[in-house]
Amino acid sequence: MPTPYNGARMPTSPRRRGGSLGQLVALGTAVLLVLGLGACGDKKERVTVGLIVKRNTNPFWVTMKDTAQDTANDDNVKLLTAAGTSDIDNQSQVAAIRRMTKEGAKGILISPANSKAIVPAIERARRAGVTVIAVDTPTKPRSAVDALYATNNLEAGKLIGRYAKAKADQRGIKPQIAMLDLAPGITSGDLRHRGFLAGFGIKDGDPRIVGSADTLGETIKAEDAMRRLLRKHPGINVVYTVNEPAAFGAAQALKAAGRSQDDVILVSVDGGCDAIKNGVRPGVIDATAQQYPENMARLGVDTLADAARGGKKPSGYRNTGVEIITGDAAKGVPSKDVAFGVRNCWG
Amino acid sequence: MEYPAAGKLPPGPFAVRSAPADGTRGGGPIPESGARSASASAREVIGLARESVVPPQAAAQPATTAKPQGAGRARLVYPGFTVPFILLICCFAAWGSAANLTDVLVGVFRHIFTMSNFESALVQFAYYGAYFSLAIPAAMINRKYGYKTGVLTGLGLATLGGVLFFPASRMLEFAPFLVALFVLAAGLSILETSANPFAIAMGPEESATQRLNLAQAFNPVGANIGVLLGAVLILPNLTPEPAKLIMTHDQLRASQEADLNLVLRPYLGIAAVLALIWLMIALRGMKTPAEATQETGEARGGVFGRLWSNRHYRYGVAAQFFNVGAQVCVWSFTIQYALDVVGVPTSKAGWFLQASLLLFLFARFLMTYLLGKFRPTLLLFLLAALGVGLALIAVFTQNVVGLIAVVAISFSLSLMFPTIYGVALQGLGEDTKFGAAGLVMAILGGALLPPLQGKIMDQVGTPQGFIVPAISLALVAAYALFDLRSKRHGGPLVTEGAH
Repeated sequence: MPTPYNGARMPTSPRRRGGSLGQLVALGTAVLLVLGLGACGDKKERVTVGLIVKRNTNPFWVTMKDTAQDTANDDNVKLLTAAGTSDIDNQSQVAAIRRMTKEGAKGILISPANSKAIVPAIERARRAGVTVIAVDTPTKPRSAVDALYATNNLEAGKLIGRYAKAKADQRGIKPQIAMLDLAPGITSGDLRHRGFLAGFGIKDGDPRIVGSADTLGETIKAEDAMRRLLRKHPGINVVYTVNEPAAFGAAQALKAAGRSQDDVILVSVDGGCDAIKNGVRPGVIDATAQQYPENMARLGVDTLADAARGGKKPSGYRNTGVEIITGDAAKGVPSKDVAFGVRNCWG
Repeated sequence: MEYPAAGKLPPGPFAVRSAPADGTRGGGPIPESGARSASASAREVIGLARESVVPPQAAAQPATTAKPQGAGRARLVYPGFTVPFILLICCFAAWGSAANLTDVLVGVFRHIFTMSNFESALVQFAYYGAYFSLAIPAAMINRKYGYKTGVLTGLGLATLGGVLFFPASRMLEFAPFLVALFVLAAGLSILETSANPFAIAMGPEESATQRLNLAQAFNPVGANIGVLLGAVLILPNLTPEPAKLIMTHDQLRASQEADLNLVLRPYLGIAAVLALIWLMIALRGMKTPAEATQETGEARGGVFGRLWSNRHYRYGVAAQFFNVGAQVCVWSFTIQYALDVVGVPTSKAGWFLQASLLLFLFARFLMTYLLGKFRPTLLLFLLAALGVGLALIAVFTQNVVGLIAVVAISFSLSLMFPTIYGVALQGLGEDTKFGAAGLVMAILGGALLPPLQGKIMDQVGTPQGFIVPAISLALVAAYALFDLRSKRHGGPLVTEGAH
């Protein structure tokens, strides 16, 4: 018989032998109760909400749609979705409004492909009792919808204008500015342009602006435009771009002209993942104003569901946020680092 | 039959080369286990051992030692001890959960309080600082009042730590959480010190190893559950960062409260489990046997002098410091790398830490096999070098490849703690116990290096912070190389306490 302990007393058996199973069951139950605490919320009434975006392929809209779906799942909302076949496909959006109204949507989020042409369809839906919120892009007139949830493009432009000015001052350079715009008459592009100038502290016609070009926000057009501007003004050292594809085009032209990225302050707007990781992080783009399509979707779905359940009806304009993302902060200009930009980029 | 004191154990059944096959931290072969061993060894170092439930031989046996005599026939536990043993197993799982849930907390607190990486890494400073600080007090409690009291004290303190999360979550401040974590870790440190010998005491000596192995097997299970709790209950439900940008002050405060409630739930769960175990153990009135006195009878000054003059030992302590530091750094910042560098959504980032732990567990078993085939320091060198390479990939690639490299570092970490432990103590003879205490107190690396990495991440960038584990593992590799190039032959390693 083995000696269990060397000079030690055998442990006595527990005093109580009964109830062992009960104790373990109690233990398990307590664990489940505590871990499950708060897991059961109130079951909200199921409502239907629609989301109509411009295209299904653009990462900006994909992010918006994914966030809307996640929010809908969490909030017991049935989400109907639709998209146009191009950025100017008004007909598909009109048809989608009609279909969603018929299917019982109590609210619709829409990013109009044509700010004016979509208005009659929206008005019909509103007359049928549907609450409509424009996201990202306003309607013309803005009052055609109940509310607008969008980035403040003027503020976005101002932020990068302030950043560019602060950096120019810091480096002690005499600014020679190139403006790579969107196209005439497009609200978001106009607002960003005006915002940049305001942030930099100049106005259109200022001699420091040595050249400008419309790029439609496309890389190739921006590259061509930048090459032309550099031929005329090889000393360009500040470049404003209306969006990040245009910024990449400008960067390619600058590189082809033998300009170091350290010599030129290149700023942009949008905050897509590709631009943050491959533009801002390596310093190709000095700073970009990041916008948040997920805020538009989350706020929009939540607000419409709440209104459908008898809550407050949305109205007015809601800024969905904008932040400067940079790897090289400028003194006096609030900004977020690249890590923040990567965590919250879209696409 | 006379049993030799643990420090005087001859080669053979007490000096087994195989690395323990149990899992992750907290009772496994790594930091917390280190803390456990630190406490146990510290108790012996300061000559406190008076009473124990453990026969010296059983206490000395590593979890993966050779099959004990008659193990196939002996009962696993004494009659009536089935439920207490199951409860003790729950303790092993509970501290594994708490330890690895803490890794998740580093990122969670950064998110909730919008703080820097350095500040959030103070979570690990509090946790490992408590483990380090409590090593000797834990030993004193066990010595003076016995292991059962040690277990109850540890459970009680850890429960209190878990409960302290409640007021902390209401105060909406970071500091109270650090206090709660410190108390929780202090309790777990005492619990670990007492639970292993307590498990051994619950049955016949013949099945002691089997019992200890079974109990320790639940530690990695708990560790994985800890990360799972974070990945499922906390991370996916946090308020999205962009949403906070457009909140009013009141909305922001409400979202903070909601997020801190998410943190509260798993800790209250752990506290509830520990409290129930405390009650059941306390109410059962188990008696424990007295421990045989183990005094080495040697003046400590001479021992310290001998240890300090032993380069294998001295460098081994440093290597262990950097190994534990590297491990805690990597696991603390895996989620941040996924978020900040790759842009993985918060809801999915926790799964990469989970993958790290599973890889660590798998590598543990693999290394147990390979350690029987190759010289341990050769494997240590190769895996440390691999770890350096992987950490540098994480620094320079800055994409999903870097993230995979971060996860893969856990493979190289798998054998380090027990191997360094064994190599550093090799040939110390009667000085082994003293040496073990200093060696495992190198857990301090887990408290000091993460804040350093956090600082670099804040100043330079998230990927660049991984230069800290890269350098740490390079120093571990240097230690392995030192051993390989020394004239000392790689004989049997000491594994006592290295689980």
